[in-house]
Amino acid sequence: MPIFNLNINNKSYSVEAESDMPLLWVLRDLLGLTGTKYGCGVASCGACTVIMDGNAVYSCQRQVGACVNKKITTIEGLSEDGSHPVQQAWQKAGVPQCGYCQPGQMMAAAALLAKNKQPGEDMITAAMSDNLCRCGTYHRIKAAIHIAIEDINK
Amino acid sequence: MQKQKIDRRDFIRITSLSSGSLAIGFLVPGFRSLDLPAEDCEFFQPNAYIKIDKKGKVTIFFSKQESGQGVDTALPMIVAEEMDVDFRDVKAAIAPFGSVRRGEHDTGGSQSIMEMYTPLRKAGAIAKAMLISAAANQWKVKPSSCAADKGEVVNTITMQRIPYGELVCAAAALPVPKEVSLKNPKDFTLIGKSEKRSNLKDILTGKAQYGLDLKVEGMVYAVSERCPVLGGKLVSVDDTAARRVPGVIKVVSYTGTGAPMHVRAGVAVIATNIWSAMKARKLLGITWDEGDKNKESTEALFKTFAEKAVQAPQIKVFEKGDTGKNAGAVQMTASYAAPFLAHATLEPVNFIASVKAEGCELWGGLQLPDWAVNTIASDCGIKKENIKVNLALMGGAFGRRLHFDFAIEAVKIAQQVDKPVKLLWERTDDVQFEPYRPANYHQLTAGTDEKGNIIAWQHHVLGTPVAYMTDGPNNPHPEEMDGADGGFCYDVPNIKTGYTPVPFNINRGWLRSVDICVNTFPVESFIDEIAARFKRDPYEFRISMLENRPDFKTGEGPGSFTQSPKRVAGVLKLAAEKIGWKEKRKPNHFIGLATHSFIFAKSYAAHAIEIEILGPKKFRITRVVGAIDCGLVINPDGLLNQMQGGLAFALTQALKGEITISNSRVLQDGFFSYELLRYDEMPPVEIYWVDSQEDPGGVGEVGLPTVAPALCNALAAAGYRPRSLPIRNEGFSWV
Repeated sequence: MPIFNLNINNKSYSVEAESDMPLLWVLRDLLGLTGTKYGCGVASCGACTVIMDGNAVYSCQRQVGACVNKKITTIEGLSEDGSHPVQQAWQKAGVPQCGYCQPGQMMAAAALLAKNKQPGEDMITAAMSDNLCRCGTYHRIKAAIHIAIEDINK
Repeated sequence: MQKQKIDRRDFIRITSLSSGSLAIGFLVPGFRSLDLPAEDCEFFQPNAYIKIDKKGKVTIFFSKQESGQGVDTALPMIVAEEMDVDFRDVKAAIAPFGSVRRGEHDTGGSQSIMEMYTPLRKAGAIAKAMLISAAANQWKVKPSSCAADKGEVVNTITMQRIPYGELVCAAAALPVPKEVSLKNPKDFTLIGKSEKRSNLKDILTGKAQYGLDLKVEGMVYAVSERCPVLGGKLVSVDDTAARRVPGVIKVVSYTGTGAPMHVRAGVAVIATNIWSAMKARKLLGITWDEGDKNKESTEALFKTFAEKAVQAPQIKVFEKGDTGKNAGAVQMTASYAAPFLAHATLEPVNFIASVKAEGCELWGGLQLPDWAVNTIASDCGIKKENIKVNLALMGGAFGRRLHFDFAIEAVKIAQQVDKPVKLLWERTDDVQFEPYRPANYHQLTAGTDEKGNIIAWQHHVLGTPVAYMTDGPNNPHPEEMDGADGGFCYDVPNIKTGYTPVPFNINRGWLRSVDICVNTFPVESFIDEIAARFKRDPYEFRISMLENRPDFKTGEGPGSFTQSPKRVAGVLKLAAEKIGWKEKRKPNHFIGLATHSFIFAKSYAAHAIEIEILGPKKFRITRVVGAIDCGLVINPDGLLNQMQGGLAFALTQALKGEITISNSRVLQDGFFSYELLRYDEMPPVEIYWVDSQEDPGGVGEVGLPTVAPALCNALAAAGYRPRSLPIRNEGFSWV
């Protein structure tokens, strides 16, 4: 099996995998980074969202072979201690219920805010509408994003 | 302060656990323990306990599992309140399966707070009393000269203080007091104040470990291809291509099961990694014997419902007065329908099983693990005393994990390989093979006087009952009539309700809000239709039938509840007031109302929904007001979260949630075809609650049932009257 060198959360990893294995399963099952969640495997729920070279992407749709030389950030790398403004905002708004989709939600929000510190409502809606939450925490996700915007613009 | 006698059968000091700590076990009276024969209670074994360690940290071990409903936060608040310790020093942990009395692990029905409020208060008060006694002994003063404050005992004469942690060993040697004092609720400093979820940080940093995140030494992975028709059998499998996929270890088959779980016959690919298993699965060549129940369709089912709806119900459920003799001067009738629904937890079901000669060990999220163990024992031929269960955090449950079909499958697969196996249901499996919320149909008939006052009310519910699957089709009481039985809250002199079960070859289970949600949609829609026909204000119309009706019992004996029409009216009043029901509406804006009692969780909720009509059958939800009366509120933030999230869950059902079936196959296969509400569809929501000192009720399911009828009543005010869910099928669109 081929070996791939990956840059994840500013660390170098060397993984042996079939080249078509989605990044999602590389992260979860080979590297033990289980914060990135499986929800559908077909780009319909956003639970597996990670940040790759600054963009929010579905890790279920990226084959490991296409992830070399990319800068990948997962929820574990957003901050280890929960200090990232998005995590802080999620904490303040008390967003999670079951919490399963929230790593993906936060990665989508973090990618948006890294690109645009003051996104308008339409941009927020566009960035967040592909991430499903069955517990229905959308009301608080919205509140949390506004808390984060305020925080990073202080 | 309230003096409470302590029954020694209900609370004990657990010496086996109290090395270096104080542990108090207690019995939470739940559904199951009530059924235990008296002799079993003589040998007291607790089903929950609290433990205070030498650092003064308190842990509640209990048999309620966290799946997003917030029991891990609200229950510690109750103990912290009575013990006078910092909430942050109290943690909740799932009692290891087997450490508490069998049959007691049961998370469902919005019961956790209701069941545990008083036992937890008493346990907290007992612990505090024992710690105070230990300190009093040390100071050689009377316990009445001591007080508890912020995790310490204070000598009120000398003002000396001893932290709880330094007293636990001495306290553990003392007897459980015969009487304790509980706080007066008006002295509560923690209960009633919002606290954020206690495991938030783990969730927000990706460290929270759900069932699917667990890894067991030596574990391999499996996915399974199942017979497309329930009850079918495997004829043959060609796994040549599948076995060539790198990483594949083995392909195994297993037979289906009958009641209660109806596991389908399947072929599983076992591999060193999940991706290999998924790829190989697609290469299996399988021939199935579908059996003779392979022609079922939801289209035909709803035709059958409509035909049978106008006949007499097969089962009489509730009768009061005489709807035949007192039919009323004006007759109205209407029928309503709602489809099968999937739970669609974001964490799809999954399970780890390890089967060895000496026994079997399991890992995963289960709401009813005792039932799972008993059934696995009989379905898989393993002695139940040899089954060990490790319960895991659940990424959503909503009733899905009351069922354990996936756990039986995992064991059947693990029996054929010498390593622990993690079985994953891919999303397609999760949507296509789950135990669905039953499809249902309702025939409503009302007789009124000339002014629209209801003289006679008849409700015929038709459905595909869960009980026919869990207990088999000979179950004499399959009816799903909560909200349409003796608890019907409107003051109508003549009532007749009944149920007609219709067999259908697809598995069914309980979905959040269960039959109360099913039956509230037609009831609250039809009440509105009657009001409209007689040009009565739908708010005043409801209040007139609720406000003056005294509380009543819904039936005799266990399983009966007290219904409070006044509280049903109370939440409606609150919702109507907050949305400005009596104020002038903006142009093209319409408001719909609905109210109900979520009777078995002793809570009440109403919704008022305002819409703006943007074009023919096109609307925007501009405002949602939810009002709830759940008695004393433990954690307002938790209540808000459940009501806000419940709205999203219920809107999915009202707008677009639907499972359809053709040739006994589910046509939806994931989130593209079984759509959930999305971020951009979440309307503005405000939640209010009734300030109440009644004992706390449940909250998790209460915010759903009135959403669909309130929305449909708003559309009716605008000139439409949707009578079937989801309303998308009737041509509605929304932004």
